Amino acid sequence: MPCLITLTHAPYGTKVAKESLDIALVLAAFEQQPAVLFVDEGVLQLFPTPQSPTSHKHIGKIINALEMYDINEIWVEQESLDVFGIAVDELSQAVTVIARSKIAHLCAQYDQHLVF
Amino acid sequence: MSDLSILKSPGITSNPLTYTVLVRSGPDLQSQALSAYLFTKELLLQGHQVLRVFFYQQGVYLASNLRVVPQDELNVTVLWQQLSLDHGLELGVCIAGALCSGIVDEQESSRYELGGNNLADQFTLMGLGQLAAASADSDRLVSFGA
Repeated sequence: MPCLITLTHAPYGTKVAKESLDIALVLAAFEQQPAVLFVDEGVLQLFPTPQSPTSHKHIGKIINALEMYDINEIWVEQESLDVFGIAVDELSQAVTVIARSKIAHLCAQYDQHLVF
Repeated sequence: MSDLSILKSPGITSNPLTYTVLVRSGPDLQSQALSAYLFTKELLLQGHQVLRVFFYQQGVYLASNLRVVPQDELNVTVLWQQLSLDHGLELGVCIAGALCSGIVDEQESSRYELGGNNLADQFTLMGLGQLAAASADSDRLVSFGA
């Protein structure tokens, strides 16, 4: 049952980013073909950081593992990148950029949608 | 609890579905935690099937039996326990999140030699995989809390 997981939280500060990526990995392990969509501060999870703050797991490493779990649909909202002045080629991962106006259409393609 | 009785059920549905409910808000967000409970209760009253309620993130705090709430507030933990007893509802708690948050059952307490346990009756510690499995078998996955 394909599931879209929307990630809206910054990578560090709280554990929410890690906990939501964990859900994506578990759904993939159960062959539910999850896709992930980064919006708002969530796009910062894709910004390469050499080191994670103490007491946090490195979010970049988890994101790099997405592909290994066959999570190949990684979407990023264009407007959110713009807010933070991030260009798509600066991201740590190959992603598909999507305009805000197309998000509803994207959601409609999935049976389930979890927003973190 | 009398104020909850105004939410009358419209009756048994002719189109029962299977649901998984994900609870991600804890006691701090009382109204969201309560919404998840009321929604689940209504599903059961209308004849839908709830495969599992899964408590994750802040939601794990609802599984502690050491919470004491002010007399004029609802104890959502007790509400969930009663709903579980009434309907044989499975209440699963993310084991990794629970252990991190100091919610342990007897088994984990002895495994880590913690000297006490506080998982409320009717709640069960389980892995995230049990959420994935339930959602795969459900028509709907409904998430509460942010």
